[in-house]
Amino acid sequence: MNGVAASLGAAFVLAGVGGVAGLAVPARWRSAAVGAVTAAVGVAGAVSGVAAVSGTGWQVRLPGLLPLAGVTLAVDPLAGWFLLLIGGVAAVVGVYTIGYAGTSGLGPAARGSSAVLPVFVAAMLLVPAAGSVSTFLLAWELMAMASLLLVLSEHRHSRAVRSAALWYAAMTQAGFVVVLLGLAWLAAAVGGESFAAIRAGAAGLSPVVSGGVFLLCVAGFASKAGAVPLHPWLPRAHAEAPSHVSALMSAAMVKLGVYGIVRLGFDLLGGGPRWWWLLLGALGAVSALYGILQAAVAADLKRLLAFSTSENVGLILLGLAAAGVWAEAGQPAVAGVALAAALLHAANHAGFKTLLFCGAGSVLRATGTRDLDRMGGLSRRMPATTALFTVGVLGAAALPLGNGFISEWLLLQSLLHRDPAGGTVLTIAAPVAVAVVALTAGVGVVTYVKALGVGFLARPRGEGAAAAVESPPSMLAGMGLAAAVCAGLAVVPVVLAPALDRVVTGLRAGPGPLGGSSATLRLAGIASTISPLWIAVGVVGLAVGCAAAGRALGRARRRVPAWDCGDGPLTARMEYTATAFAEPLQRVFDDVLAPEQAVDVTQSAESAYLVRAVEYRRRLPDRVEARLYRPLITAVDAIGRAARALATGSVHRYLAYMLAALVAVLLAGVVR
Amino acid sequence: MIPWLLAAGQAVLVMLVAPLLIGLMRAVRARLEGRAGGRVLQPWRELRKQLRKEPLIPADAGAFFTAAPAVLVATSVLVAAVAPFLSTRGPLSGVADLVVVVGLLLLGAVALALAGLDTGTAFGGMGASREMIIAALVEPTLLLAVFALSTRVGSTDLGAIVAAGATRPAEVFTPASALAAAALALATLAEAGRLPVDNPATHLELTMVHEAMVLEYAGRDLALVEWAAAMRLTILLGLLANLFIPWGVATDPHPGALAVAAGVFVVKLAALGCLVAAGEVFLAKLRLFRVPELLAGSFVLGLLAVVASSVLA
Amino acid sequence: MTDQLLNLACGLFLLTAVGVLWRRELAALITLLTVQGVALAGIAVLLAVDQRHAETAGVALAVGILKIAVLPYLLRRILARVPEARETAPLVNVATSLLAAAALTLLAYAAARPLIDLAPSPTAGAAPVGIAVMLIGFFLAATRRRAISQIVGVLLIDNGIAAVAFLATGGVPLLVELGVSADLLLAVLVLQVLTTRLHAAFGGTDLDDLRELHD
Repeated sequence: MNGVAASLGAAFVLAGVGGVAGLAVPARWRSAAVGAVTAAVGVAGAVSGVAAVSGTGWQVRLPGLLPLAGVTLAVDPLAGWFLLLIGGVAAVVGVYTIGYAGTSGLGPAARGSSAVLPVFVAAMLLVPAAGSVSTFLLAWELMAMASLLLVLSEHRHSRAVRSAALWYAAMTQAGFVVVLLGLAWLAAAVGGESFAAIRAGAAGLSPVVSGGVFLLCVAGFASKAGAVPLHPWLPRAHAEAPSHVSALMSAAMVKLGVYGIVRLGFDLLGGGPRWWWLLLGALGAVSALYGILQAAVAADLKRLLAFSTSENVGLILLGLAAAGVWAEAGQPAVAGVALAAALLHAANHAGFKTLLFCGAGSVLRATGTRDLDRMGGLSRRMPATTALFTVGVLGAAALPLGNGFISEWLLLQSLLHRDPAGGTVLTIAAPVAVAVVALTAGVGVVTYVKALGVGFLARPRGEGAAAAVESPPSMLAGMGLAAAVCAGLAVVPVVLAPALDRVVTGLRAGPGPLGGSSATLRLAGIASTISPLWIAVGVVGLAVGCAAAGRALGRARRRVPAWDCGDGPLTARMEYTATAFAEPLQRVFDDVLAPEQAVDVTQSAESAYLVRAVEYRRRLPDRVEARLYRPLITAVDAIGRAARALATGSVHRYLAYMLAALVAVLLAGVVR
Repeated sequence: MIPWLLAAGQAVLVMLVAPLLIGLMRAVRARLEGRAGGRVLQPWRELRKQLRKEPLIPADAGAFFTAAPAVLVATSVLVAAVAPFLSTRGPLSGVADLVVVVGLLLLGAVALALAGLDTGTAFGGMGASREMIIAALVEPTLLLAVFALSTRVGSTDLGAIVAAGATRPAEVFTPASALAAAALALATLAEAGRLPVDNPATHLELTMVHEAMVLEYAGRDLALVEWAAAMRLTILLGLLANLFIPWGVATDPHPGALAVAAGVFVVKLAALGCLVAAGEVFLAKLRLFRVPELLAGSFVLGLLAVVASSVLA
Repeated sequence: MTDQLLNLACGLFLLTAVGVLWRRELAALITLLTVQGVALAGIAVLLAVDQRHAETAGVALAVGILKIAVLPYLLRRILARVPEARETAPLVNVATSLLAAAALTLLAYAAARPLIDLAPSPTAGAAPVGIAVMLIGFFLAATRRRAISQIVGVLLIDNGIAAVAFLATGGVPLLVELGVSADLLLAVLVLQVLTTRLHAAFGGTDLDDLRELHD
């Protein structure tokens, strides 16, 4: 029994203990117990991931555990990377949950939600560990069900929760069916359902089969990953779920969609023709741009973070697409860099998004609102949370000193590479992809400056924000852990280079892409270098030096009222709101966002020239949803209404339907 | 050791020259408009005056407001130290990367935007919103220009790009390079807050961008912000000069070559500064909602630069 | 040296087309068109010098006179008669038009690839520039309201075709070029009359007004 097996086994046992604890422990200690156990499950998962990315492989077949297929587990470096990511997120979220769920015994601290939380983490750990189609699908469905229950935690709280859960349930099941079809087709075509058998038989597949399988599975995986246009569940579920669940879903679960695409495209099918990757790249580009634009104009903090998840998944998909294209074009070194960029961005996103969703949860708990237009003034009232949130913002905005910057730099390097023999399509696709990444990064900066600047700084805009107090220590500890990981990834990403090398070489996608000393990251096949450590030392050192010199040599600062145009004092109504902040951007991208605006001017009764009131309304509906899903829902609704004719309420009739179906199946078998 | 001294010297040179560049541009503009104008040294005098005055901070502002000037200065000084202004062999090639430099300059702008929001005034928010949105829309142009420049040498390392230009000037004078230069020049004007995107001389509430963000600064903090803004302009013009007029840059750290390089660098800066100032005489500020048109135009120039480098190469 | 100059001329040729989409003042449009004529004539002259071919030089001269002197003069005369100086509300806004121009240029580049592979010569490599200008011309004619903008669009199409002919085949027979140019001259004259009449009848040159004639 090696390290992977021991720690993974410990994780599953602990998850069982956590589930029981959630049901059995009284409300007063429940959150503490479940949080601690969930953190332990996460740590165990992360340890198994570390063991796997250090080169320890493990596989096992347990035929007795499931009828017919049995359970097959196989952990390689790629699985290890995602185990590490999920385990890390779960460890942080576990600690955070202790304070967040609280001792009320309601909502996220209720019996059901508490019991499901560790099970959800275990199900997520099982997905990358699965070594056969049936085990994978089982884990996938377990994960979907557990997350659905968790989204429903606060169903008594508002109707929106129920609607969000309905959307999520419908889309995750549709996604599951598509993945099921794809993987079943693949298993049938190669004549074996273990991943090893598929790997061995993939070379003999006809392009129609492999292309069809790829399309079906990518549709399913991309919907789990929240890629546009398969995203409508995401802003709803992430916004309405309790924040620790949002963090788990956005930082960890969504990444398993990415895992599915990597496992299928690069490992099981061993790469594919160029059109696969160009299609994936287009999906990524649309997700990145549309996601960040919607995030930029969102005034709901958690909706903003949710759409930003779509954006980051888009960037990851762009990296995967670049890796596929370069591998197909015979540039394995650059392909390796692109794949490493995608995987590193997945890890970075997990880090900063955990932190940001936990931060949003703290703010929601303290102020009672998710609406940025009613926040503000938190930097004085919740200084620690503000500082930690700032670390996450630096990462999410992909600014230097933040961890997102490193992976976006890697992604850009893989896209900036030019292949003279690449042909027309690559010559055009590469600059377009660079422009997409650049615009996404730019709008991302607007989005996060808005989230931090309007949400936390200056004066409070609402009563909730005015009465906010700092979060309990366990929540700060959880966020502090995440912030430390983010800072580490931002300053010394080199520590992950050997692990990424092993993952990439394990996928046969290219030679080890990363190298370099402790300070500088070097790439295989590309001459550029980056020194995150020196950037951090330079900026922080110079800034501290400058501030210290100013304090030592200059006079002390004096607080005075801000300039109020002589009409003071300034009120919170005079501050810029999140809506106002993003308004110019909304105007620039008017054609894409299609806002619905109305201005009603009411005249005074005495004269038509005197205005009594001006009412301005603006709504920013999700256009993809309105155009694509509303017609679909209407159609399904119509079919459902038509099908009502079949259900008359007569038991005899229902039994007759069953009989007819059974006879039809048997007949089909006989005829065949 | 020598590269580090060189980097420090380069940073000091940029810090000294930046206010003079602003002074020169103001003087040229005043002369062309038929005014007497101030001396070239005037910005230095203003900095000295402000450094002595008492710094004030608004009642509702917090740490973001007080930290922003230091962060802005730090990013500018760091870029000034590592960029290949005098020599193509800096001590930190991992920082003198074109993408990193773009990121560092953006970090400074973000610090200032957060400070603007931290004041809690309408002006601060307005300036921050406008500055960030312009910065976001400039980004694609910048990176496409980076694309056009970097594919020539297969690296985004600034030192390598400038060195390649200095040793093989013929490659710099191609249509692709000219288009990239035009795109980068427009992006520079937008990033540095010059006409026609922003008017550094105005304090009219409807048109301010940069000035609205820094309206609440006073004393030492204002001095730092203005100094850093001058350094950013110097850095951007210096990069433009060395990327597209690559003569005079030292390729080895020989003292004589470095002295020549410093002289040539200052002359190039002065020439570009005069050009910008002369151009501004004839330009009016664009309406905020016409700025995206300008930036879309610069984006097309950048894209054409990339295409031209494969079509006309 | 000729290669460098040819590249420069091609770059200028494409840039002026983008500039036409960028600017709203109709007078600026005509100036840009004149500059484009200079670039086109420059391409022809450079080809003639390169190949030492007298007939191409003749074509270059004819093209130069027509595009630099005659057509701008006619357009300015039309502009003087109608009071509209600006393209106020194009059907597609300027920023989007510019992005569309970028997309059309990429399309031209992709579409011309097989053509270039067919007859690989240094000048043929620049043929996508001509195709791009042609596409931009179509786009301009399709999305602008003012009659003069649309004439400019048609002229861009012609310039693009001429450039492709020059660059891909290294010169056009004199007769063909003259025939095409004469056609174009006629078209501009007809449009001039039409614009004047339109202005007299409707007080504007928005061609959408012509729909009223149908009703």
